[in-house]
Order: sequence, then structure tokens, then C-alpha cells
Amino acid sequence: MAQAYGFYTDTTVCIGCKACEVACHQWNALPARNDGLVELSGNSYDNTQALSDVDWRHVKFIEQFSEDRTSARWLMMSDVCKHCVNAPCLEVCPTGAIVRTEFDSVYIQEPACNGCRDCISACPFGVIHVSAEKHIAQKCTFCYDRLQNNLPPACAQACPTASIQFGPIEILKQRAALRVEQLHGQGSADAYLYGADDKILGGLNAFYLLVDKPAAYGLPESVEAKLPSRLVWPSSIRAMGTSVVMALGMFLAFTRRKSEVKTKELRTIKPRSEWRYSRRSGRKRRLEG
Amino acid sequence: MNLHVADPHWGVWIIAYFFLGGIAAGAYATAAMARLFGKRRDQDGVRAADYLAFPLVCLCGVILIIDLNRPERFWHMLMSSQTLMPIFKWWSPMSVGSWGLSLFAFFSGLSFLAVLVEDDWCYHPRLTWIYKTREGRLGKLISLVGLGSAFFLGSYTGVLLAATNQPGWVETPWLASLFLASSASTGLSAIALANRWFFREVSRSVLRHVERADRWAISLELIILCIYVWSLGSDNRRILFSDLPGWLIPWVVVPGGLLLPLALMSRHRRRGMGEVAAILVLTGGLILRYAIISIPGSLVYAHSLRDS
Repeated sequence: MAQAYGFYTDTTVCIGCKACEVACHQWNALPARNDGLVELSGNSYDNTQALSDVDWRHVKFIEQFSEDRTSARWLMMSDVCKHCVNAPCLEVCPTGAIVRTEFDSVYIQEPACNGCRDCISACPFGVIHVSAEKHIAQKCTFCYDRLQNNLPPACAQACPTASIQFGPIEILKQRAALRVEQLHGQGSADAYLYGADDKILGGLNAFYLLVDKPAAYGLPESVEAKLPSRLVWPSSIRAMGTSVVMALGMFLAFTRRKSEVKTKELRTIKPRSEWRYSRRSGRKRRLEG
Repeated sequence: MNLHVADPHWGVWIIAYFFLGGIAAGAYATAAMARLFGKRRDQDGVRAADYLAFPLVCLCGVILIIDLNRPERFWHMLMSSQTLMPIFKWWSPMSVGSWGLSLFAFFSGLSFLAVLVEDDWCYHPRLTWIYKTREGRLGKLISLVGLGSAFFLGSYTGVLLAATNQPGWVETPWLASLFLASSASTGLSAIALANRWFFREVSRSVLRHVERADRWAISLELIILCIYVWSLGSDNRRILFSDLPGWLIPWVVVPGGLLLPLALMSRHRRRGMGEVAAILVLTGGLILRYAIISIPGSLVYAHSLRDS
């Protein structure tokens, strides 16, 4: 595999301009929601509301107020597919439509996807959605076509504050660690990296610099994002045990005769040879012949 | 509990598939057990299962294809669309399940054909080979492997749900066992109903065998349901069962779909009680699947409302 590439998103310099959303829409020719009719969510400046089949980038606006509302903070974060090192969507995909590219990104091959939605249930970040138009799973492609032509992803190129940075993942991690040190030095002790280490699904190729708990940004804690296959064997072994117990119960039900001998038969049963061929006369003779 | 996920919208078709597939698996497993260990009378008594399993699993196939957003690509589940080679990912329950469903369709199809020939619905001299699949060592072997495929079909749906990141599905590894026990109880209830309504030649003692097996399956389901609820932990229990649809499990499924049928079965000599018990078990099985499949969607929706 060629070098692994990724996104490093420094949320402390995001200004919520949504240039990344626009660039993503434009490059990937994503249609507008509601045929372009503007729909105000009432949730700050966040009218995109969530990642979806036509929104592969989503700038979150998180307004935080103290209880007496004398102090406030505005967090912004450009959310995207995390291109996990151990990607749950890729793991569960039954058709092989989801693959890992030479850039270590996770890519959905549209001609192979049949819209089973197993990847949606597996993604712990709520990234993947089914397209209302194409009826297949959709998410950020990491601008695979641009990468193949030595161009950075459209969102990273459009970001005016370098909140979204693209590059070789190891270099990005070093840069991010320095930035965290710098912020700590400036008194922002709550700055930390989310997904840069291997605690979440072996690491996220799109990792973040955050200044609050993951839940504040709508992200799961590291223990909440799980690899789907972890429960396959424990569940299967329990099911096998249940099968044995079930079979034993049925065996006893069909072999225990003691009580039946004493019970008077209320209905008579015809011999099998009689009622097997009883529907049409003459067939039995033909069989025997 | 991770509430930051997207809803896969596995709705009415998937609920129907889990329910009907469970009945088919439970019914076939009963017939296979009767063929393996029962007397001739038992084998005749559960032939309703042979009539039920294959049509139901065919219906399941149709349902699954309809539920796909690109139904014309259903074959991608079994074959790679690029290489046209079989695709099998043992670590993906949906991939394994597609093969398991096909295997079960094969075995239940054999039984269906055999019972059609035996009961003279489609007799042809060239079809007499089908008897070999019912009798002798080959018959036992086919019943044994078919039994395995039935247990697989009854349980893999629970593994499929557990192998996700959806709240309510990933907190415990007991879903597969729960679905298996429920598939057995619903399958046996379906046989009991079919015997009472359509197969009147079946003797009372065979009916009692089926009912005894059903009581066993319902009791096992009740025990596993308790283990499932316990294994969730107190915090998750409070979240999952305090509101609809999770609320249905402790307050509808347990009393109406398990305890009441058990009570009725112990008094089955009263006319019609057996039928009522079987209908309650089937209804309980359907509600159980509806509740479990719908839990993540409702939790995620409630969470998104709170967020906005």
C-alpha cells in the first residue's frame, strides 16, 4: 500500500464558513436537499443538521452557555467520514462493495452496492446513508478521483483557515501533537486529539483536535465505537449452546412415552400407508406395481 | 450507549423476515428432530412443518429482495459483481446469513418436495428418489444437516444485530439465543395450529408431543429473555424498556406471549385453549421482533430531537 493519508481537523480554528460543505457538494456533484428550498433548522447556523446521502461534510455549530448565561462558547467542527483503520462498515459489507484504497481511505464502489444498509448499522459515527436517488450507500469518498490525480480533497483545499488539513497521516499526527502542546502552553488545558491514537477502531484517518468531551461534538466515546465482529463469536457460541438445549428438549418431547401409554387415544390415526395415498384412489396400486 | 449513529431503517420487511424465517426454522427443526428421534407417528404428525418451511423461506427471500434498495442486485450477496466468483465473508453475519438461508432453502425444499410426492400432490414415477432423502442413513444425514441449517437460520439474525453499533443491539451477546428460542416456540406453535386446523388425522398423542416441545421452547425463551434483560445492565435496561417499543417486551411479550400461553397449555383440555395459546405465542414472537428491531431507531430519533 502507498502511504496512508488522512484529515487532521483543528476545531479551534474553524470559523463555520461552510466552504468545505460547498466544495464537497460542488466537486462530487451532490444534489441539493429539498430541491434547493432553504429549510431553517432553528439550531444555530446549522441548517445542514447532519451528515446525509447528499451532505458528506457537515459543519456543526455547538453553542454552550453557563447556567446563568453570563459566559458563552461557540464550538465549530467540520464532520466527515473518519476512514477508520479498522472500519466497521468495510468489515460487515456482505457484497464487497466497501473497499480500502491505496491511500488507506474507505471507499464505496457504487456498482457493487445493493443497498442492504448493514454498513449504516455498523458505523458508530452515523456517517453512511442511503441515497434517495441512487438507492445505494453514500459517504465521503476522500475525493478518491482527486487523490489519483495528485490533488488534495476538495474540502481541505477550500478550507480558508487550515482547520481541515490533508496529508500523510504520520506527518499530520506530529503536527497535531505540536498544536496540542501549543494550546496547552496558551492555557487551553482541555485541548486533546480524538482518534489520533489507536484507541478508537485502531485509529481514525480523519482525526480531530477537540476542546470538550466527544459527546459535546456528537461523537462517541472510544469505548462506544466498537468493531462489529467482536460479538460474532460470543453470540454464536451462546446460540450453539441454546441449540443443544433446544434439541435436547425436543428429543425428550418426542421420545418420552411413559405418560402416553396410559392415555386413551381420543382420535384414531390411520396407518401411514393408508393416508399417504388417500386423496386419489388407484395411486397406491400404481406405486406398488 | 452510543446514540450518535444513523438509523438503518430496517423496518416492516425485516421484521417480517425475522418472524417468518424464525417460524420456518423452528418448524423445520421440529420435523428434523421427529425424523431423527421420533416414531413414525411423530413424523407424520409434524408433516405440517414440511408444508410450512419451504414456502415461508421462499417468501422470506422475496421479502429480503423487496427490502433491498437495489433489488436487481440481490445476487451481489452471494457473488462478487466484479469477478462473478462466490463471495463469502465468515466474519460478516449478513454474508454468512445469505449462504445459510440458501442452504436452508435447499433442505426445506427437499422436504417440501418429498411431502408433496408422499401426499400425492405431485406424484411422478421419476420423483420416487425423493423417498431416499427421508429414509435410511441418507435421510438421517440430511435431517441432521438440515437441522443445523435450521438452527443457524433461527439464530443468525441475532448475531447480525449484535454485529453492529446500534444501541440496544450491541450491549449483549444473548440476542442470537433469544431469537433461536423464539423461533422454536413460534415454529412449534405454527405446527400445532396447522395440525389442529388442517391436519386432522394427527393423533392426540402427537399433538401432545408437539405441545410438550412447545412448552419446553417457551420456557427456554423465557429463561433466555431474563438472561438477556439481566445482561443489559441496569442503566441500559432503564433506557431500553422505559418507553415504546422496548416497553413491549416486559409488559406485553412476557405476560401475553409467554406466561399466558404456558398457563393455557397446562389447561389445554378445554376446547380451543391450544389454538389460543399458539396464536398468543406467534403474536408474542412478532411483537418481540418488532420491539427489538425498532429500539435503535426510536432511541436515535429521541436523541436527535433532544439535540435539536
